[in-house]
Amino acid sequence: MDQYKLFIDGEFVDAADGKTFDTIDPGTGLPFATVAQAGNADAEAAIAAAKRAFDSGVWSGLPMAERVAKLQDFADQISQQGVRMVMTECMDAGQIVGYAKIIVMWASLLMRNLSTYALTKFPMEEEISASGNAFSPGREFIVREPIGVCVGIVPWNFPTALAMWKIAPALIMGNTIVVKPASNTPLTALILAEAAKAAGIPKGVFNVIPGPGGALGKTICTHPDVDKIAFTGSTEVGREIMRMASDTVKKVTLELGGKSANIILDDADMDLAVEGACFGTFLHQGQICESGTRVLVPAKFYDEFVERMKKRAEAIRIGYQLDANSHMGPVVSKEQLATVEHYVQLGKEEGAELITGGKRAAVPGMEGGYYYTPTIFANVDNKMRVAQEEIFGPVVCVIKYNDDDEAVAIANDSIYGLAGGVFSSSIARAEGVARRIRTGTMWINNYHVFAEYCPFGGYKQSGVGRELGKWGLEEYTQVKRIHVPAFSDRNTNFPFTMLTDNKKMEGFSYTCPTAIIAGHGSLSAIYKSVVELGCKRAMILTDPGVRAAGLADLVKSALVDFCVGIYDKIPQDPDLESVDGAVEKARELQADCIVSVGGGSVIDAGKTVCVALKSGGKANDYINRWFALDEPQTPHIVVPTTAGTGSEVTNAAVITNKTAGRKLFIADPRITPNAAILDPRFTLTLPKGMTVGSAMDAMTHAVEAMTSIMANPICDGQALNAIRLITENLPLVAADGSNEKARLNMQIAATTAGWAFTIAQVGLAHAMAHTVGTLHHVPHGAACGIVLPHVMRFNVDHAAPKLAQVAQALGVDTHGMSERDAALAAADAVQALMQKVGHPMRLRDVGVPEEGLGLCAFHAMADSNVMFNARPAGDPGEIMELFKQAY
Amino acid sequence: MSLVKLDATASQAVESLLSEKGSQGPVRIELQFTGCCDPSLGLIVDTARESDLVEEVDGLTFVIDPQTHDLAGEVSIDYKDDNGRDVFILTSANTIGEWDGLITCSLRT
Repeated sequence: MDQYKLFIDGEFVDAADGKTFDTIDPGTGLPFATVAQAGNADAEAAIAAAKRAFDSGVWSGLPMAERVAKLQDFADQISQQGVRMVMTECMDAGQIVGYAKIIVMWASLLMRNLSTYALTKFPMEEEISASGNAFSPGREFIVREPIGVCVGIVPWNFPTALAMWKIAPALIMGNTIVVKPASNTPLTALILAEAAKAAGIPKGVFNVIPGPGGALGKTICTHPDVDKIAFTGSTEVGREIMRMASDTVKKVTLELGGKSANIILDDADMDLAVEGACFGTFLHQGQICESGTRVLVPAKFYDEFVERMKKRAEAIRIGYQLDANSHMGPVVSKEQLATVEHYVQLGKEEGAELITGGKRAAVPGMEGGYYYTPTIFANVDNKMRVAQEEIFGPVVCVIKYNDDDEAVAIANDSIYGLAGGVFSSSIARAEGVARRIRTGTMWINNYHVFAEYCPFGGYKQSGVGRELGKWGLEEYTQVKRIHVPAFSDRNTNFPFTMLTDNKKMEGFSYTCPTAIIAGHGSLSAIYKSVVELGCKRAMILTDPGVRAAGLADLVKSALVDFCVGIYDKIPQDPDLESVDGAVEKARELQADCIVSVGGGSVIDAGKTVCVALKSGGKANDYINRWFALDEPQTPHIVVPTTAGTGSEVTNAAVITNKTAGRKLFIADPRITPNAAILDPRFTLTLPKGMTVGSAMDAMTHAVEAMTSIMANPICDGQALNAIRLITENLPLVAADGSNEKARLNMQIAATTAGWAFTIAQVGLAHAMAHTVGTLHHVPHGAACGIVLPHVMRFNVDHAAPKLAQVAQALGVDTHGMSERDAALAAADAVQALMQKVGHPMRLRDVGVPEEGLGLCAFHAMADSNVMFNARPAGDPGEIMELFKQAY
Repeated sequence: MSLVKLDATASQAVESLLSEKGSQGPVRIELQFTGCCDPSLGLIVDTARESDLVEEVDGLTFVIDPQTHDLAGEVSIDYKDDNGRDVFILTSANTIGEWDGLITCSLRT
């Protein structure tokens, strides 16, 4: 008989204690090779060798291209051993020769194809273009690294293929591996070891230790130097392995049992379905975990189907596995044969009707072999043990059902969830059923189809993780995230400020993606803007008031043939539903560009429409997400009809969730509009109250941006310019709304203030304004104006230099004043401006009840803008005092 | 050679479980399959069949079919408290499966 040895640290060696065992040909029941039997000392030696090899970097440290080149040599060596491997696989596992030829060839192809895929397509490194963290910008990426020492525990049904499912991904990804083949079928793993050695795989990278799992299991599953275990076998053993691995928190992938349903729908091609049902069950004597051993057949043709299955099963030729005429060979061992017989007896006792088979098969000249006839049970209740427990032999249960829902329920009534099949003449119907089955694989009009790029693994108690394909490769890697900040500076690190008193940010980045076209008649530019954005189908988004004023039609005219429609149902404070309505309309019109004509509400709605239109789904899918978009959105052009929000250049959108009763937002650079057209004609009809209110919104943006802990000279320049423009032009437009030049200056002021706060954020005044807006429906601009002077005074000792500059921009003569007095004068100047233009001065004037101030204070403290305020504002008592002052 | 050997804790556990289930037994030692490639021995409360081999141990009745007995030989039953779950480790004189000695089973009804 042939002698086989263990393969440890690149050498074929005897077991430390000298033990050997015989391996049996199940077709004859006779031994045909002697194999060294690994004990715990050998397992320790193999793990130590794998650990040394991994730590040395001789394999894990190779560039992927060099590793793959070695593995391609390995695949070639497997091919060279092809005939020997096929013969050995047949004699070890009982696979018929026609099938073993395919399996062995696949083992070589699998290594070749998966390694090439890993080299050319698998993402060993990935950029995270949108991190979701607005406070710590920088490069975010992941690298995939090998896990370390892997243990591959291989079952006896496919000793070559299932060894390769573990060896290939482990080695491709740079791990080292110790393979423990099943004691029934240890030989082909050792031939693979010969191939690895011939290919020059470094010593210790690949080790093979045949031996009983019961004796070796504890060592290989608890050893501290083992980092990952990949096991194919029973659910009970998988559970035990998981338990043992948990002590040292090893990674595990488990491919466990199954009791898969093969569902024959009532419109199935009967010939195909009968063949599929028999192939799904009897291939390799039913010793395949995903076998479709529960065939679900509609009552409509149940009897006929069973009769045809019987004829087909009885036509299967049983014979010695190396006889090319055999369709089925032996089961793997006498123990397995006894198990099959036990379950068949159990099925009969449970009341299942034995249609055919149910006995050993006689193969002339092979009387010692373990042959069993294809066996069909009909009239099986799914609760029977034969329908619930895996038998792992050529035994199928045919179960009757009445409709698709019942078939799905029966299929899912199992602790397992490995695979299944659906046979139907309607692919759509079959796919619908397949999607309802809780398993890791479903085949339609087919069965037992595997491919190296397709994942395999189970739901429920059929396993953990996936093998094969990119998913299988991922299981053999660890993901390391690497963060490189945009600023390596302790004074430009927002999270660091949690432990310091200096909250001010020094460094900054500034992106200005919006093209600004400003001036009388600038609307004409929209025609070219659409072209520059590569669009041809613009939908105008507006509100009923703007539509009625004729402004939307003015834009439509300017767009000529590029306008595909106008959606004019955006309300003040747009909600999710109104955005969804606009998205639906845009999809219907096949719009490729959104033109928002209106104030902040319309523009914010437009930003959200652009996201949903590009990325699919509804508005709610994108709300309350920060810096999460990783690609440009649907192009967006805005034509503001107010001068205040600055939304035409900002990266935020506020949308109301009526169900939650809250205003929510998206903050992301990807939603900043592509172009803004500031044509003063669009603000000429704005009423005085809205003109003044929105102007104070812009003023507050500018002042709070300047005093923010995120402020920088670019933002300061924009903010000061905005303050100057508002100071000079607001009284003019308040006095004469038709003053087009002043209107344009107010638009420019709002835009530059928008830029300023996009860079530096806003502060406590906005937090307080949001609160009275939400709780007491005070218009945002009016609320901002009323609280701003009080917040400026509150901040005076934390922002005096900035507020002094604000005072100058507000026209205050600060000569001779201390910086602090100048700062306080700025607050006075804001109030004076408000009085001059007729802006409300107190919260009581805009309907806020005095008894509501306490709740407002708590809400304001929780507003995210507070964190950017010049002076820390964490005391609700202080904020309450400010509300009282503003009251 | 006896059919079955069980230690005192296993005996108490079987008795207690039978009592909980309101059963007198017998307890069958049978071949079970818990998925993919691993036949093993298991315990189930069952009725006796005419052909069964029967043995009483500590007042408990165990049955096993002759074929399984031929395959397994004497079966030792040990008890293990697996995080509050009562499980048994069945070890046979002759090897049944790859994971003998490691795999556990519960007493099924």
